[in-house]
Amino acid sequence: MRSVLTVIKEQFQSFYLVRRLSVYEMKSANSNNYLGVLWEIINPMIQIAIYWFVFGFGIFHSAGRGDVELSGELIPYFPWMLSGIVVWFFINQAILQGSKSVYTRIKMISKMSFPMSVIPTFVIFSKLYQHLMLLAVVLVIFQFLGYPINIFYIQLPYFIISTIVFLVALSLITSTISTIVRDFQMLIQSLVRILIYLSPFLWPPYHLQPEIIQIIMKLNPIYYLAEGYRASILGLSWYPVEHWEYTLYFWGITVSLLIFGSILHVKFRDRFVDFL
Amino acid sequence: MAKTVVLRNVTKKYKLYEDSKEKLLDIVLPKSFGEDFYALQNINFEAAKGDVVGFIGINGSGKSTLSNIIAGIIPPTSGELKINGKTALIAVNAGLNTQLTGRENIELKCLMLGFSQAEIKKLEPHIIEFADLGKFIDQPVKSYSSGMKSRLGFAISVNIDPDILVIDEALSVGDQTFAEKCLDKMNEFKAHGKTIFFISHSISQMKRFCEKALWLEYGKVRDFGLIEEVMPRYEKFLKQYKAMSLEEKRTFREAAIKEQMGQA
Repeated sequence: MRSVLTVIKEQFQSFYLVRRLSVYEMKSANSNNYLGVLWEIINPMIQIAIYWFVFGFGIFHSAGRGDVELSGELIPYFPWMLSGIVVWFFINQAILQGSKSVYTRIKMISKMSFPMSVIPTFVIFSKLYQHLMLLAVVLVIFQFLGYPINIFYIQLPYFIISTIVFLVALSLITSTISTIVRDFQMLIQSLVRILIYLSPFLWPPYHLQPEIIQIIMKLNPIYYLAEGYRASILGLSWYPVEHWEYTLYFWGITVSLLIFGSILHVKFRDRFVDFL
Repeated sequence: MAKTVVLRNVTKKYKLYEDSKEKLLDIVLPKSFGEDFYALQNINFEAAKGDVVGFIGINGSGKSTLSNIIAGIIPPTSGELKINGKTALIAVNAGLNTQLTGRENIELKCLMLGFSQAEIKKLEPHIIEFADLGKFIDQPVKSYSSGMKSRLGFAISVNIDPDILVIDEALSVGDQTFAEKCLDKMNEFKAHGKTIFFISHSISQMKRFCEKALWLEYGKVRDFGLIEEVMPRYEKFLKQYKAMSLEEKRTFREAAIKEQMGQA
């Protein structure tokens, strides 16, 4: 429990550091391109277009299942997909970069007095800016898709914060393990590739039979985040309240990850340099 | 005199593994796998304000490990380490982000060392002036020559006003004028009563600059004292060592390595 407090204290005390370092992080990631940060928008947009073509147009539309039923409403595939996948690009990048954050930067940090636990955090924050830009663009698109600004938008900050806390907790674990055993990064890469298909981003898993499979899929906390974003952007429901059991489950998982991650991180962080 | 650096029985142990399986088992299981290797063994010494201590010893004697421990980059395995004040390490490959410009690196480095925005604003012109990189300060560091990189690293480290400065072979790159400039700066530090640790293979530079010498031999302190006393002994040893036949050198090394494995 002490290590959890240490980690949380470091996060808050070093918040200024996190903000500044994440800006440099973004700068150095994009310094080679002429369009710079713009690629952080263009890249997801290209992927969204191809996903729409393959899944929406190619598979679902031609099978006559172009609409998705959600909360008693029929929603065309494209807005359904777009409203969820907008958070995927953040989760995807944050998991991948977060897990290699420590071992790629420890040389640069090279001071034991540096609050190590903020390394994954500032890497995740540098991805957050991209996410916020993409989210803004996507929200503008939704105004033209027939899903105008609505009261349910006020859930969005809650889901953005939930996503950040979840990713930070997860990255504490993954960054520690992949510093010690570099192979873990490879495993993470394949798992993340699978994750997009196991979460409700590309295809609607609402009517899977037998029902147990739906429940198993919901065990994945990213499911909660995707559906939360969707409910907020499409203006469907007060998701965290209406699914309060699921909200409790999500926070239970997140807090467990945070506790486990903190213990692991604090146990090994003095020796990170030795594992290089 | 106030002690700034105190080391008591400081030991740094590394593990040597035969293969990656052993390494994994060692992390996962409580039982110890792999062979021990003592890079430093029971190091005891003290340094006070204004001391300039040179680390001497042949390759692999643990000079760089010791300087990294004093600079707070790697933790000792056991023993007590007391450091009073801010340390700065100057090494040839100072951790710079090659994608960012020199100016951005200055800001980044200072941020990581815990300076506030206002302090960085104040420090920046001094660092830029000292590094003397001209227009290159706004170019990405990847376009720098090795001399320019070490100049930038040195400029950052000396301008953050450390109480304890560790210089690891950093003066061997860079031209004569810059080395002179650095030595001037170091003399200024000496006058201000800062503790300096100096590592170099150049004995003449050592003699000119250091007051004390710590002679390391395969992870142990062989001798520690005033440079006038230690240096002649070290030079005598070097002469003997050079005069040894290949066979003798090998037995000498093997005995030392055995000791470092903790078998002696």
